[in-house]
Amino acid sequence: MLIDLKDIYKIYNEGLESEVRALDGVSLQIDRGEFVAIVGASGSGKSTLMNILGCLDIPTYGGYELDGTDVTELSDRELARIRNREIGFVFQGYNLISALNAYENVELPLIYRGVGPFKREGMVMEALAKVKMDDRSQHRPSEMSGGQQQRVAIARAIAARPPIIMADEPTGALDSRTGRHVLEILHTLHEEEGTTVILITHDNSIAATAHRIVRISDGKIVADSKDDKNLQAQVAKEGGAGA
Amino acid sequence: MKFTQAFKMAAKSIAGNKVRSALTMLGVIIGLAAVIILVSYAQGQNQAMREYYESMGQNTIDVNAYVYDGSIDIPTELSNYCQSISQYVEGVTPNSTIWSDLTIQYGVHTLGETQEIDMGGGMIMIDTSQRPTSYLASDQFAVCNNYTLAKGRDISFMDIKASNQVCVLGAAVAQNLFGMIDPIGKEIDINGMPFNVIGVYKAKGNGVTEYNDEGDNWQEVSMSQMDNILVFPYTLNRILNNNSSVDQYTVKAKDSDSAKIAATLIKSYLTSIVGDMGWVDVYNQGVYQEEEDEANKLQEMFLGGIAAISLLVGGVGIMNIMLVTVTERTREIGIRKAIGAERRSIIIQFLIEAAMICGIGGIIGIIVGYLGTLIVGKLFLNIVLIPGTGITVGAFAISVALGLIFGLYPAAKASKLQPVEALRAD
Repeated sequence: MLIDLKDIYKIYNEGLESEVRALDGVSLQIDRGEFVAIVGASGSGKSTLMNILGCLDIPTYGGYELDGTDVTELSDRELARIRNREIGFVFQGYNLISALNAYENVELPLIYRGVGPFKREGMVMEALAKVKMDDRSQHRPSEMSGGQQQRVAIARAIAARPPIIMADEPTGALDSRTGRHVLEILHTLHEEEGTTVILITHDNSIAATAHRIVRISDGKIVADSKDDKNLQAQVAKEGGAGA
Repeated sequence: MKFTQAFKMAAKSIAGNKVRSALTMLGVIIGLAAVIILVSYAQGQNQAMREYYESMGQNTIDVNAYVYDGSIDIPTELSNYCQSISQYVEGVTPNSTIWSDLTIQYGVHTLGETQEIDMGGGMIMIDTSQRPTSYLASDQFAVCNNYTLAKGRDISFMDIKASNQVCVLGAAVAQNLFGMIDPIGKEIDINGMPFNVIGVYKAKGNGVTEYNDEGDNWQEVSMSQMDNILVFPYTLNRILNNNSSVDQYTVKAKDSDSAKIAATLIKSYLTSIVGDMGWVDVYNQGVYQEEEDEANKLQEMFLGGIAAISLLVGGVGIMNIMLVTVTERTREIGIRKAIGAERRSIIIQFLIEAAMICGIGGIIGIIVGYLGTLIVGKLFLNIVLIPGTGITVGAFAISVALGLIFGLYPAAKASKLQPVEALRAD
């Protein structure tokens, strides 16, 4: 088992009147090589879940084992190492560094990993080629469209070849055609490299393309297609109706 | 992450945020240049002051002595007494200023008077010069007041003894009265009496003979004023000074310690011979100079205070830019942490970035400060003023330190956040 969340709570303003339970006892297991979509309305806690899965945030209570390591026990430095080597992130807002061009943005995780300059160049160009952005490596984010920026962000996520890709609403800011293209890239990565993909979305039609669907509502997992074989068809139907 | 890598990353960040980098540098440049210029100006002024005192004659003692009935020959008594304490004293001379206006003429030129001159095309008014100061003195006038002869000879003992109608000219008077003509041996007319010019002193005021009409540059005026003099044997006081007695003397001591001792000795000697038949006053010039030095130190501290404030303003400028961009920077730090940067890498990058900005800004600030100091020195002090090494190094160190502190603080704070908190910054 690659990911094992046990009874995770994320509580803001605990004990106060304004207490918010963003995650309210979530347990989730994900195996290597899965393509999982986590769906839910906005405010359901799906982004909080992804932040905790990606070691960008720490849970208030609960246990998290990543590839057999108890992540909740790790130091800041070890967490940085996990974010760098195990997980590639794709954000809704791209989160590229505006002062750097496409090449330099993709190069960044490799620099932090300590990859030498010659090897680095090959890895950056390979990642950019995979998202068909190799011809725009010298462009700054401000000189690219949203779809292009998201492709660079994906290239950055995959450049260090992490076993897990986490994408938080990767198509949220894109039109449906560009969004489909970005989704295709994620599927290709999953099929050709066996990368585990965790996709967070509020869009059922996108979720329906995943092999496994987990539905979250009010900080709790309310349905999982692993246990409920009807969910897949249901989500697909809802997605179709919504589209 | 390797150091060279962090260095490259910082350079990229500076190049990628040109406006932000330039504004931050501006804070360093302004602060540093202001400190260098202000402190150098204060130091330059002090130096000009010191030079002024030196040219006036260091270690001189001013003596005022007067006997009501003229029964004591004070010039001779003082001269003899000074000989007896020659281990302290280099020279002594009467140094009385002639208060009445002398009319000094050579040919058609009259000093200190507006003249109508026929220039061929018509009459024009010319103010030929500033009225000179005339001194009644002895053969030791030059020694006591730091003059040196340019040509001719000085007043001699015989001139004094015989009350010869001779005079020595300051450089400015010689220039104004004679122009290109050699004054030595020429006869000039003073109050209708003939006087022989026997010598001319070298210019003391850097050869400057021009005047500042606004009077805001007292230094230059004083320096030139020192050259605008005539010196007569003191025994001529009867005919030149409306018969009033010589009552002022200048004693030149060997050094400042000797000046103190000599001032005390002279005072007690003169008091003992004059008694209540007149009055005696002795001033040691060195005391004035010490007081003046004290005042200069205060001024230097005052300007230093202003400079410190400008440095602080520069620092606040740096801090403002850093705080304005802190949201952007916090997001950037969030991104970097999300893709695996350790806190250490982030701190090192921001540290190098701040150091580079401050270093470059600091060098530009020093250049601006040097140029500004040269300009200020030329404009206000009329000297070639160059900032000291101490102030340059000190101000550079302080501004770099300020830049590092203000530059690093937001980064150090943001790098402590969980990545998701940093990413959320807006």
